[in-house]
Amino acid sequence: MTGTREPQQDGSIQAMLRDSGLESSTELRGSLEELRALVPDRAPAPRADLAALLTAGAPAAATVPTAATTALPLVATAPDHTEEALPAGVSSLAERRGRKRRLAIVGGAVVGAMTLGAGAVAASSEDFRDSVNHTVGVIFQPSGETPDVAPKPAKPSPTDIPATPAPSNAAGATAQPTAGNVPESPGSATPGPRTPAATPPAIGRGGILPTPPHRPVTPGVPGLPGRGGDRVLPANPLPEPTLPVELPTLPAR
Amino acid sequence: MAEQLSDDELSAALAGEPSGFSAVYTVISPAVLGYFRARGVDDAEALTQDVFVDVLPKLAKVTGGHSGLRTFIFSIAHARLVDHHRRAERTPHLAEYDPRDDTRYAASAEEEALGSLGGITDFLAQLNDEQREVLVLRIVADLSIEQVAGIMDKTPGAIKQLQRRGLSALRELVTEKDHAAS
Repeated sequence: MTGTREPQQDGSIQAMLRDSGLESSTELRGSLEELRALVPDRAPAPRADLAALLTAGAPAAATVPTAATTALPLVATAPDHTEEALPAGVSSLAERRGRKRRLAIVGGAVVGAMTLGAGAVAASSEDFRDSVNHTVGVIFQPSGETPDVAPKPAKPSPTDIPATPAPSNAAGATAQPTAGNVPESPGSATPGPRTPAATPPAIGRGGILPTPPHRPVTPGVPGLPGRGGDRVLPANPLPEPTLPVELPTLPAR
Repeated sequence: MAEQLSDDELSAALAGEPSGFSAVYTVISPAVLGYFRARGVDDAEALTQDVFVDVLPKLAKVTGGHSGLRTFIFSIAHARLVDHHRRAERTPHLAEYDPRDDTRYAASAEEEALGSLGGITDFLAQLNDEQREVLVLRIVADLSIEQVAGIMDKTPGAIKQLQRRGLSALRELVTEKDHAAS
């Protein structure tokens, strides 16, 4: 280090020693040169706020173009890495932000491409559509389908009156009002009298005048009156047209 | 210290231009860093940067040319150092466990040989505070007697006296060490 010192500076130490009358002491001189060697050759790397100050200048002179700096490169070489626009120690977040956006765009493109591909396959192949329909049906319908399956067996019930009646009633009512109703009544008790009673509640939709004559029949039924009795009457009248059709079946059995 | 501030850079720095700031920092900060190191500041670089963050915006007020600038910067560094020492006195000293500071530890032969070379900072630490400050400002900061007098708020005669006594004490320490080593 001392070799790099200018003679004039070593001379200042010499002058100091001379002033103090100690110029003969070589040990002391060596120690003072060692002391001077504590001064590093290069400026320490400026930290962020100082670097900003160095590049931007004084607040009043902030408009001075930074391109005019001549000594700045000297300072900029000290830090381990510097980007052109940014002072040392200041990292840009723009890049990270851009990366996030890029990820989102890529993700969106991938999802879109997959959707398009799946659509194209579905459009071109019948099997695919069927299988998709099937799987979708399996996934979403299990709870709804089981009841649906049950009512169908209920339909045959008119023939096998005793077995189907009660369970089929609840589920089957939606599908076929007339058919479902008839089996109900037989399930509960004797076929003949109940059929009329059963019909009225289910038939409610029919909404036709002839109902009044049937009323007398419904009261006769033991189980039904509680339900349908008088209240249901408005609804009951409708079924009549269906009744005649099914009634014959019951007697036939 | 090998490089000097040119007149253009000085006027640019006084005008608040970034080029001037960079030049001032590049030329003078090593001396400031050496000054803090010589005075045994533990984080000398941070203190140096504090000084320049403080100094650069105020350069417009500086008069006296190159020596005036240097005096201004070192007067702030000196004030910072005084603050630092005061703060250090008030705060408890936190130190990691260093095996070399352990009194139960015996130095190896190599370390004794190296230690006999002596450290100038160790000698300086044994001087009186004002003597030490004068010597460091004169030698490390490369300031004249008058500049040091301005910074320490003393007369040049007092600074000369401190310098002479400090150098004498230092010489005693150095020669004493040499005798002990030999």
